[in-house]
Amino acid sequence: MSSSPGLPPRSWSRAAERTFSHCLGLVRCIAPIVPAARRSAWVAEWTGELWYRLASLDRAGTLDARACASVLARTLGTLPHALWIRCADWSIDMLMHDLRYAVRVNAKRPAFSLLVIAILAVGIGATSAMFSIVNSVVLEPLPYPQASRLVRASNANRYGNQGAISRGDFLDYQSRNQVFSSFAAYTFFGSAVLSGTAEPERVTAPMVTANFFSTLGVQPVLGRAFSPQEEDGQHQVAILSYGLWQRRFGGDAHVVGRTITVDGKPTAIVGVMPAVLERTFDGRLWLPADMHAPGMETNRHEHAYYAIGRLRPGVTLARARAALGPISAQLAAAYPLDHGTHLYIQPYRDVVVGHAAPVLAVLLGAVGLVLLIACANVASLMLARGTARESEIAVRTALGASRSVLVRGLMTESLLLGAAAGGAGLVLAYLLVRGVRAVAGGMLPRAAEVHIDGRALLFTLGITLLTTLAFGLAPALHAARRSLATAMRTMGRSSGSRRSLRVRDALVVGQVALSLVLLAGAGLLLRSLSRVRQVDPGFDASHLLTAQIPLPAARYATRESADLFWTQLLQRVRALPGVTAAAGTGHLPLRGVGDAMYYEEGHPPLSLADARLAELNVVTDGYFHAMRIPIITGRPLGETERRMDGVPAAGTDSVKGDEVEGAVVISRHIAQELFPHQNPLGRRLVIGSQHAEVVGVAGDVHGRGQAVAADDMLYLSLHQRRSFLPLSLVVRARGDASALAPAIRNVLHQLDPTVPLAEVTTMDGLLHDSLADTYFRTQLLGGFAFMALVLAVVGLYGVLAYTVRQRAREIGVRMALGARSTAIVSSVVRRGMLLVGTGIALGLAGALAVTRLIGGLLFDVGSTDPVVLAAVTATLLVAGLAACTVPAWRAMRIDPVIALREE
Amino acid sequence: MTSPTRPLSPTSLATLKAIANNVRHGFDIMDATGLPSGTVYPVLGRLERAGLVRSHWEAATVARREKRPPRRYYEITAAGVRALTLSMEHYRTLGSRRGPLPAPRRT
Repeated sequence: MSSSPGLPPRSWSRAAERTFSHCLGLVRCIAPIVPAARRSAWVAEWTGELWYRLASLDRAGTLDARACASVLARTLGTLPHALWIRCADWSIDMLMHDLRYAVRVNAKRPAFSLLVIAILAVGIGATSAMFSIVNSVVLEPLPYPQASRLVRASNANRYGNQGAISRGDFLDYQSRNQVFSSFAAYTFFGSAVLSGTAEPERVTAPMVTANFFSTLGVQPVLGRAFSPQEEDGQHQVAILSYGLWQRRFGGDAHVVGRTITVDGKPTAIVGVMPAVLERTFDGRLWLPADMHAPGMETNRHEHAYYAIGRLRPGVTLARARAALGPISAQLAAAYPLDHGTHLYIQPYRDVVVGHAAPVLAVLLGAVGLVLLIACANVASLMLARGTARESEIAVRTALGASRSVLVRGLMTESLLLGAAAGGAGLVLAYLLVRGVRAVAGGMLPRAAEVHIDGRALLFTLGITLLTTLAFGLAPALHAARRSLATAMRTMGRSSGSRRSLRVRDALVVGQVALSLVLLAGAGLLLRSLSRVRQVDPGFDASHLLTAQIPLPAARYATRESADLFWTQLLQRVRALPGVTAAAGTGHLPLRGVGDAMYYEEGHPPLSLADARLAELNVVTDGYFHAMRIPIITGRPLGETERRMDGVPAAGTDSVKGDEVEGAVVISRHIAQELFPHQNPLGRRLVIGSQHAEVVGVAGDVHGRGQAVAADDMLYLSLHQRRSFLPLSLVVRARGDASALAPAIRNVLHQLDPTVPLAEVTTMDGLLHDSLADTYFRTQLLGGFAFMALVLAVVGLYGVLAYTVRQRAREIGVRMALGARSTAIVSSVVRRGMLLVGTGIALGLAGALAVTRLIGGLLFDVGSTDPVVLAAVTATLLVAGLAACTVPAWRAMRIDPVIALREE
Repeated sequence: MTSPTRPLSPTSLATLKAIANNVRHGFDIMDATGLPSGTVYPVLGRLERAGLVRSHWEAATVARREKRPPRRYYEITAAGVRALTLSMEHYRTLGSRRGPLPAPRRT
């Protein structure tokens, strides 16, 4: 081997000296790249060559500037040389050796390895599943070509509520705009009764303009789309959705041209649309819009359609808004009574996933915290194992293993565990995603599209690597950092360093703090949910069966025939055993509502913007009794409102021309707003174009869910409506409401076998469904918080158990000297609770900062609710105390003789 | 060890041939082959790992006498001689088919 390079001799020229010193400096700079074991030989070889070459050139007197530069250039070759040696050092053989060693080490402690893999797999699996959901729902574009150019146009009032557009307005926007390459309309609601071929069935049936499908970029799988001529309201044609085609028509390839019965009318099937449409539209049967039906082109008061437009290439959303704003303002100026609103344009993607995105972001953040806790937990375990392996590492160091070799070996062990956890996590993510797809139908938009794709796989790979670095690197560096002398000194004793313990303490504090943040979030959602459930919906939901009874329009074209049907149906249902009350209603609470403009007779509003809007519900007699909605003053709508065969019944009802006058029951809030400190009974209202006298005031009802403020409600009697609306049946039972369904179906079948009984459910079920997404996010966040709590408690237990083991000798000495067991226990518990307390303090600060993010998801609960924060603090204290008990008990049972003998 | 049936790469062949011609030190090999230092040293490493050359440190006494640090030198092994013969033959037949091998560049 070489001696160390000395200084150049005095006989050298200055140029030779300077070049040598520059070259040697470069060699020394690059030397750290070379593995330590070969470094000095490498430096010596380069020094020897440089010295010899410069001395030769200097002696020959040919060391000019060019020769110096050439030597310097050759010295640059040290970099590729050093890199080559470093890479050759990491040859496949070495890696295989590391891998084999890692497998052996991990297999030798199967319980430890499985625990680490399980903890990480839960973290990685939950994070990957959550990312897959976010990716499929929010990040992936809608399943249409160039979907980013699709926007929805709707009316928005000054409160930001969005509503439909009238036919006249739509046609104006369509013909006058310059920003859309295609502008189509569709109805949001709409249903039809399919009958004839099989059991009558109610299906969702939106009406769409002829260019609706081409605007989306969807081609029919069979037949054709509608033609513009079919928008005249006369053509009886329909297009099937893929699902309906498969389910009801068995995927019949010759279905186009067949005639089916839609709402009692023979209708020709002209096409079948691909399944992709059902991912964003709830249409089973598509019917042509009636844009050009007689009188409809100028209709500006019936707001029935939403518009969907495809922006021209290069047109931005802002430009589209700027272009349509003036048209909207001109229409509002020209038709003030029909426009209290302005046109609102938003990306269609926001319509589909808008409200879910912030919830999913919160859940992804929460699951990220769980992964972080899992990493901290595993890092803590690895540190403990590192301490236990000190002697092994000391022996390897003594035998010449360099730090880099040790770190590489330890990281390979971590990587192996990480890879196993990543694989297991992927399986878990697959199962979770499949579960979400199965159960989240009504709670998550695009739930059917949730899947694990390449991006999600890449994400899983990324977090697996990051996780491995997070939990593996620190313990590996720590283990390799310890000096050989220290390691040898402590060989055979499981002392562990103070530094390792401090790191583990910090990890436990971090876990407690993070789990407190998650628990606080879950606690707030839980409290919010319980607050929502405490809200009195305004009616008694128990023992109440509901069902839709869509009468085929062709068969019940006149109001009288529908009246007669309902009268007979209610009579027979009320006569069923177990039924205490029954009634019909236009809108079931929690199942959509219909707006109506109203004002006190003689005080018309100046424009729609000043008008009062209320939900209008048409009900049969007995509705308030069946729903148990209290009548605060006056009377409910009843038999007095009956008006058969055009003859007004006794009472206040009368017929003036084409308009029916009648009675209206108003909700308490309307009475308070419109007639403060006055008797509302006998006052007259104009509802739409209909005049009615207030005969009663009913209690407020939360028609759009308990979390939404009670709606202003106007109740009209079915018998007073000019046009007939499809009604729902509500039946109050003595016992189990759902048990009545077969009997009611039987009654209906006897009355008219073509009328289906659709969407049979209990009102309790509807109430539960209305909170489905709230339950969904509360359960998910609750699950994550529980995982975090368990991990934090396990982490705390691990650290305390380890400390007690470490302090066995000290405890033994203290006990031998007469220390009482309570003092020993209290020292262990004090240490544990100090960590928990620090974690709680940090966690509370974090929770105060972070829970603001979920403020929008809360109902009647502040994001810093002290009750919730106190409850989660107490939970963590109790859990922490529980984690302390076993180590404390073990400390108490340490036998001084055995503890001292072990040393 | 490199299989004797596989010919060496041109840079390895040039380096090995230089060593066979008694050019034994790193910088001298660069002079003889015209290859840059970033190529020659990794090639020397590969040849040594393949058992075609072996390296030694020159005697400390020589270095001390000349008042300089010792140099590392390389010498060809029996396996190296076989590999060199085989590779030369390979390139010769290749050269007779496709023309002569380009001469190494000298700097």
